[in-house]
Amino acid sequence: MAAGYGWVQSTAIRAGEFLFVSGIVAVDPESGERQNGTLTSEAHRAFQNLKLVLEAAGSSLERLVQVRAMIYDRIEYDALNRVYRQYLPKGPPARTVWSVRIIDAFKVQLDAVALA
Amino acid sequence: MPVAREIIEPKNEKLNVSRSFNLPHSPGIRAGGLIFLSGMLSTDPQSGERSPGSMAHETRQTLANMRHLLESAGSSLERVVKLNVLLYDMLEFENMNAVFRQFFPIDPPARTVCGVQLSAGMKIEIECIALAGP
Repeated sequence: MAAGYGWVQSTAIRAGEFLFVSGIVAVDPESGERQNGTLTSEAHRAFQNLKLVLEAAGSSLERLVQVRAMIYDRIEYDALNRVYRQYLPKGPPARTVWSVRIIDAFKVQLDAVALA
Repeated sequence: MPVAREIIEPKNEKLNVSRSFNLPHSPGIRAGGLIFLSGMLSTDPQSGERSPGSMAHETRQTLANMRHLLESAGSSLERVVKLNVLLYDMLEFENMNAVFRQFFPIDPPARTVCGVQLSAGMKIEIECIALAGP
């Protein structure tokens, strides 16, 4: 998903029993086009992309163990949580929300560790 | 046979912040021989409320709570392998670091520190990965 932009990173690495996933942002999984939008729209896209990456590696959202959910501004914390609950309704992973600057003016980036 | 994934919680329910504040994360997850903790803020173990104060106070309280959570799951601070420390202002780095030295006097874990925006005017948030087991 990041390959088209020349970013020097792999989408995910399997090591031991774990999958380490690079920061996932709201890009179109077919075209690779950036889909900058509202925090809500970007969070949906990012979660769907994370799901694609995990499932392509034989894992799933249910097997996430730790997430760093990065948002561009703390004021969107509740907006993030509303989307977050829809994708991880039960037994959610450990999580920290980092309010940071994200590449290409994205509003959300998901950094994740899952069981492979 | 998939590896088990288990939610861990603090024995002191007052420190179960994700439950008290109805947040969409678990206090921690045990999986594949490791424990992954969510970011922790300074929380009063008696009342369960946030316990804001100086950087030294918040760091001490947060690490004490982290110790409790890890010990609740049969691990300990000594088994921490990696910490991510989020500060509201990097100017306070040394004030945080001085407390860390008391909690991790020898062979401290790997650590990354950065300055970010935090919730509710808190000064420090800490997350970690630890080895499961004593």
